[in-house]
Amino acid sequence: MASEKTDALVLRTIEFSETSLVVVLLTRQFGKSSALAKGARRAKGPFEGALDLLSICRVVIIPKSGDTLDLLTEAKLQRRFRAGERNLGRLYAGYYVAELLREMTDRGDPHPDLYDLALETLEELDGETDVRACLLRFELQTLRLLGHAPTIDRCAACGSEVPEGGRFGFGVTSGGVLCAACRPATRQVVLLRGATRETLRSLLSEAAVSGPPPPVPAELHGELRGVINRYITNLLGGPPRMQSYLAAASPTIDGQGRRR
Amino acid sequence: MAEWSHSVGELVDQLGRLPGIGRKTAERLAYHLLRVPQAEALALSESIRRVRENVRYCETCFNLSEGPRCSICADPRRDATRLCVVEQPRDLMSLEQAGAYRGLYHVLLGRIAPLDGIGPDQLTIDHLVDRVRSGSFREIIMATNPTVEGDGTSLYISNLLSEYALEVTRLARGITAGSVLEYANREILADALNGRQKF
Ligand SMILES: [Zn+2]
Ligand SMILES: [Zn+2]
Repeated sequence: MASEKTDALVLRTIEFSETSLVVVLLTRQFGKSSALAKGARRAKGPFEGALDLLSICRVVIIPKSGDTLDLLTEAKLQRRFRAGERNLGRLYAGYYVAELLREMTDRGDPHPDLYDLALETLEELDGETDVRACLLRFELQTLRLLGHAPTIDRCAACGSEVPEGGRFGFGVTSGGVLCAACRPATRQVVLLRGATRETLRSLLSEAAVSGPPPPVPAELHGELRGVINRYITNLLGGPPRMQSYLAAASPTIDGQGRRR
Repeated sequence: MAEWSHSVGELVDQLGRLPGIGRKTAERLAYHLLRVPQAEALALSESIRRVRENVRYCETCFNLSEGPRCSICADPRRDATRLCVVEQPRDLMSLEQAGAYRGLYHVLLGRIAPLDGIGPDQLTIDHLVDRVRSGSFREIIMATNPTVEGDGTSLYISNLLSEYALEVTRLARGITAGSVLEYANREILADALNGRQKF
């Protein structure tokens, strides 16, 4: 099969042999790819240390069909994720981005918009943007782009309008906001503040897919973090590995990732 | 090739499981072992047995060792004010072969890789902190691999050690000596600029 050039983000590297790596990539043009990179563990050669976790590369791939690994023949480093040199909270947030992308995307199902969102998110994590807002925007926009967005305007169970203002029920397994009639009969309901609904709406809006993430009021952060953790855990059938590390991005841990 | 006898076939299988050795090479090695004097072939099996029976991790630094303490920890001429932290015993070997370092080591036996389910508790970080607390180190040199996870591991450890009165440094990175700037990529040049030092 012909080789293809594409931009790619490294989501995982696995030592395959003394000299080779298997890498999981999110490519911009072809979706997720698991590829064999022969000789990638040597310092010299067609990969030159480009295949590190969360690196952004320009790659040449020979796609294979079925369960066979794709073949990676070249990778040129565009940008390295550097947060791990200075801040653990930002590093672990980057790992979480990699994990979500790996769990939620598929081979042969490209989402260039999601790829661009991921790159922007990593750039923000590598800079000074608030980690919590940055992650929430990434999570909700990822859910939206992949068709898993929670409903915010209408009841997730019966479709009737749910009035604004005041506390409301959010059904973790039913997929979003619940009306007063459906709420009592639903399992796994989280009660949220009215302002949280507003923030969810702005984080999910199409306009929020690029540019600085919408602001998240500090007093709502814990509530949002909790409900999104549960929503994603339900969607994936179990908690992401990095979920427990996200505490490192919370205010109880200082900028250097030290526990207080 | 004609049928191997059963025991030769087994040897080829065993050799073929070694890293970097394919079927053809395994067959060549097996054939070689059949041709050399018996004592020479048995010396190989004997050294494999001895290594597996005698070699373990040093109780102090987790380097490979034949006794409770490795030869580096037991050497009174080593500089006991410096401690170099590496991921694996093979990294320690590389630094030793470079011959430029006379201090002590600490081997982590891995790196923090949460995506692979490896947290700080699975490494020898607790032992490292104990050594630093009770030792007389003035400098800790972080020599983990220059990867995202290696850097993250170093950062985690340097945070832990920040309460002790010592200097934590890390290996320089950047342009290979003997190469030219023109061909170094942007990221390597950025590393080199970040790690610049005084003349
Ligand atoms: Zn309803
Ligand atoms: Zn030792």
